[in-house]
Amino acid sequence: MRATYWRYFDFWLLGAVTILVIIGVTMIRSAIAGNIELTTTTPLVTRQIIFAFIGLAALLFTASVDYRLWSALSAQLYIGMIIVLAALNIIGGALFGSARWFQTALVFIQPSEFAKLVMILVMAAYFARHAREMTNPRWTFLSFFLMMGLTIFVLLQPNLSTSIVLVVLWFVLLWMAGLPLKHLLTYGAAGILVIAVSFPILVQVGVIQEYQLRRILTFVAPDPNARYGDTYNIEQALVSIGSGGWFGEGYGHGSQVQLRFLKVRWSDFIFSATAHELGFIGAMLVIVLIAFIVYRCLWAARISPDPYGALVSYGVATLIAFQALVNLGVNLKLMPATGLTLPFLSYGGSSLLANMIAIGLVESIIMRRKALEM
Amino acid sequence: MSTKDTSFASTQFEPWRALVIYALLILAITAVVARLFTLQVLEKDSWLAQAEENRTREIISPTSRGIIYDRNGTILASNVAAYNIVITPAYLPNDQADIQRVYRELSAQTGIPTGFPLTDASIEAAKLVSPCIPGPGIAQMVYLQNTNAPYKSVKIQCNVSEKMALTVRQKAMNWPGVSVEIEPIRNYPTGSLTADVIGFLGPIPASLQTFYEDLNFVSGRDKVGYAGVESYFDEILLGRNGRRVVEVDVAGQELRNLQPPADPVPGENLVLTIDTRLQKAAEAALIGEVNYWNGYFGKVRISSAVTAAINPKTGEILAMVSYPTYENNRMARVIPSYYYKQLEEDPRKPLLNHAVSDEYPPGSVFKLSTATGALNEGVVSLSQVIQAPGELKLTESFSPNDPGNERTFVDWNPAGFGTIDFLRCIAYSSNVCFYKLGGGYKDEIPEGLGILRLGEYARALSYGRQTGIELPGEASGLIPSPQWKRINRGENWSTGDTYIASVGQGYVLATPLQVLMSAATVANNGKQMQPTLVHAITDSDGKTLERWLNVFADGHYTISSTSDLTALSTRQISPFSPTMRWDVTVDPLIAGYTCENSYCTPTDTQKTVRPDVIQKIQEGMRLAVTDSRGTLQREIYQLLEVNLGIPFAGKTGTAEYCDNVAQAQNLCQFGAWPSHAWTVAFAPYNDPEIAVVAFAYNGGEGASVAGPIVRKVMAAYFELRAIDAQQNK
Repeated sequence: MRATYWRYFDFWLLGAVTILVIIGVTMIRSAIAGNIELTTTTPLVTRQIIFAFIGLAALLFTASVDYRLWSALSAQLYIGMIIVLAALNIIGGALFGSARWFQTALVFIQPSEFAKLVMILVMAAYFARHAREMTNPRWTFLSFFLMMGLTIFVLLQPNLSTSIVLVVLWFVLLWMAGLPLKHLLTYGAAGILVIAVSFPILVQVGVIQEYQLRRILTFVAPDPNARYGDTYNIEQALVSIGSGGWFGEGYGHGSQVQLRFLKVRWSDFIFSATAHELGFIGAMLVIVLIAFIVYRCLWAARISPDPYGALVSYGVATLIAFQALVNLGVNLKLMPATGLTLPFLSYGGSSLLANMIAIGLVESIIMRRKALEM
Repeated sequence: MSTKDTSFASTQFEPWRALVIYALLILAITAVVARLFTLQVLEKDSWLAQAEENRTREIISPTSRGIIYDRNGTILASNVAAYNIVITPAYLPNDQADIQRVYRELSAQTGIPTGFPLTDASIEAAKLVSPCIPGPGIAQMVYLQNTNAPYKSVKIQCNVSEKMALTVRQKAMNWPGVSVEIEPIRNYPTGSLTADVIGFLGPIPASLQTFYEDLNFVSGRDKVGYAGVESYFDEILLGRNGRRVVEVDVAGQELRNLQPPADPVPGENLVLTIDTRLQKAAEAALIGEVNYWNGYFGKVRISSAVTAAINPKTGEILAMVSYPTYENNRMARVIPSYYYKQLEEDPRKPLLNHAVSDEYPPGSVFKLSTATGALNEGVVSLSQVIQAPGELKLTESFSPNDPGNERTFVDWNPAGFGTIDFLRCIAYSSNVCFYKLGGGYKDEIPEGLGILRLGEYARALSYGRQTGIELPGEASGLIPSPQWKRINRGENWSTGDTYIASVGQGYVLATPLQVLMSAATVANNGKQMQPTLVHAITDSDGKTLERWLNVFADGHYTISSTSDLTALSTRQISPFSPTMRWDVTVDPLIAGYTCENSYCTPTDTQKTVRPDVIQKIQEGMRLAVTDSRGTLQREIYQLLEVNLGIPFAGKTGTAEYCDNVAQAQNLCQFGAWPSHAWTVAFAPYNDPEIAVVAFAYNGGEGASVAGPIVRKVMAAYFELRAIDAQQNK
């Protein structure tokens, strides 16, 4: 029985993920070349490779576990995650002005990455139970509070971008579960009103940091007298991407990357670095692979044996697609700068691990489609 | 967990909801790909250019401008280092609090206000202040620079002490964006004493930007010559800046040369013929005399004045003083607009070198031309006696058929000189005598020299064209002719015009240098030497270089290491070797004319001046000193020659004028015209080694105002010569 599951394991999906991770590690290696700090004292490439292998193991393990187990463990996952996040807020190291990391002996663990997974699993279980009752606003409101119960801690870190991802995950699942259009429009109108009123207050209180607000403002209405630093990196990202041309400046030969004009080129701006050194062809390969992964997740949702599996698949698809699109949007100056990384490519152990576990969940669903029919 | 679940798994969600998600995804991906294609394929070139700009940096290493010395090695212009504290806005810390800390600490160190709070009003006020002028706060200056060019530095404080510069440089480790800039500043140890000869520097003018940028000079930073020899010899003094194009990383660290580097080439040094000691004495004599007379009259009567000295045998200018002048050290760093405006609006034109760039009626010193012509053309003979009363009634007619009107022409001496010979005409500077020589008078001088022939001799003695001295903006003076008058005045030439031109009045104009050259030519037996300021051009090691000055037909000139035969004229300027412009006794410079009834027509012949004619002119000038009624008898003979025992010769001039300045002061009264004072002299008479000219604008009588200046310069020259002779023993 167990062996038959593996017969349906989606090697295409794993293959796409593997290629992306390899491209990611390769580009990180190029991006940090020449930076002694990042190559010796905290060797990013080695770490990313270690996390890739851990992630692969986690992916295979998750795939082997029946995904419906997580449905049964929803309450434990939810409460456990809240405890972790609350603890992080209290004792977590204040790093870069936000309490996002747990420093262990070896590495930093970023629990909010795993909060995304928990959000998918908890919300999928919730909406799978209430999918036929969505005409009753009660369930919608309940789901909102359920979502906020987790998100509020991330928001307090403060980590705006991950909070937005959590809200988006909730919203997409809510949408798929059958939120009536009429309700959506009502909530939307109310929501805009609430944001308009509360945003200035949030800034005042300090929940949203001034730098986050400034980033948004810089994008919406570029200040002609702005200090150069505000727009510097986005401008450098465009220079990096644009100068790549069809085939790029060549791996390890991009002046923007090698001479460090592009900042955070190994994480948030790894796409710019890739487009710079590998050109339009390389950048398109990355986009196509990510699109393929998203497509595979959506396909999994269609063939899922139950609503829970379908919703989990939609959640993972959203997780990958939303983060990727926002990251690409930032790199291409289509939207304001956020802290979202490019799934599978950007440096970041927790993020890579979480994303690979998410793929493991989807694999678990894909593997179990036919088995149930037998 | 039943198979039933499977059957509705995909149908339980409304399919259109998934379709909305697909649609959004496709839309988003399309947008991303379109944007990527636009950037990477359509706009590639401009982004690539920016990437190239990021990684390449042009580094211009400044060269040092050539040093200017006088003939004895005294430094007249050199370079000194000045330290400026600068801020590059782009390198300031990102955090506002850090920036404010840097400003506060820098302010505490230097005393410049921080400028907080940064208000719109304070920024507007700071816009009006040019760099290096104290006033605006640091925040305002940095703000303005940041909006203009964040990667270019702004000068926060200029010319700080070396100690302050060192302190700031040390502390700048903790002040990102702050640094100390070393700026080479031109220093003129002799200042205003030599300002009119040396000139000053200024920013690269927009019209010549490409020329200077080809030499790697940076507009807005490097300075170029604006006046004097700084301007004329800019080409050789400049040198060439070094230039490297390097690849840099984001921190500005230089990684490698992208193009073969070019090292700076220092400018060549210039050794002038000026003797600063004589220059100083000349300045003292000139200013002393001007102040004496202005004090005597209780008002600014003499508004400008000139004295210059030359070696008539070699053409070396030994001193050249123009009054009023300016302080070129005040222009060293920046040209202060208020100061420049003040100089420019001064009606006395202090920025002008009056010795070469301004022209005046020469008056009686011009009689040397008339006398040379009259004697050479046989208008008068040496034995002939001429009646020289105090005034003369002459006919002024505008054409041969015009019966004309009687007009009275006066002598400067109302008593007249009685009956005198040709030499005493020169010695006493009798106007009446020269009216007769120039325009003819009844049977006494049946055929005058006439304006055309006078012009020929004046030109031979250096009037009417540029002398070619190495200074910018030389004026050419004016020798009028009937044709000139018809074109410029719309009137026929009259006999009266000839009379007054014969005594250097009327339309005749000359620069003080031309007057000096005319006397120097006579002193040197008709050989006119090229006046020059250059004694040598040396390289940065002091080795004398061979340099030629080539002047082309269109007026532009080049300085080359070999003579350029395509040039109109070419001469060696370094190492110094005397260049003769012409010898009037050898070179046939004088166009022949046949004259009848004062109207001359040119013939095809060219002639020279007879050597004995030049000698007689010399004798006339000698007589001006030695004769008891000679114009320079008192000033030169009694006050100088008697003491020194060196024979002098000279000529004075009192040139009446009526220009717009005089008219504005209501000075132009008939019979009592305002006049410029002139004196020119050379010595020793038998073997001349110096000629000196002095000129005082509105000075009055030549001998008594300009004469003492010449006398003092002469005295200083021979005193210095004696000192040098003693030292060389």
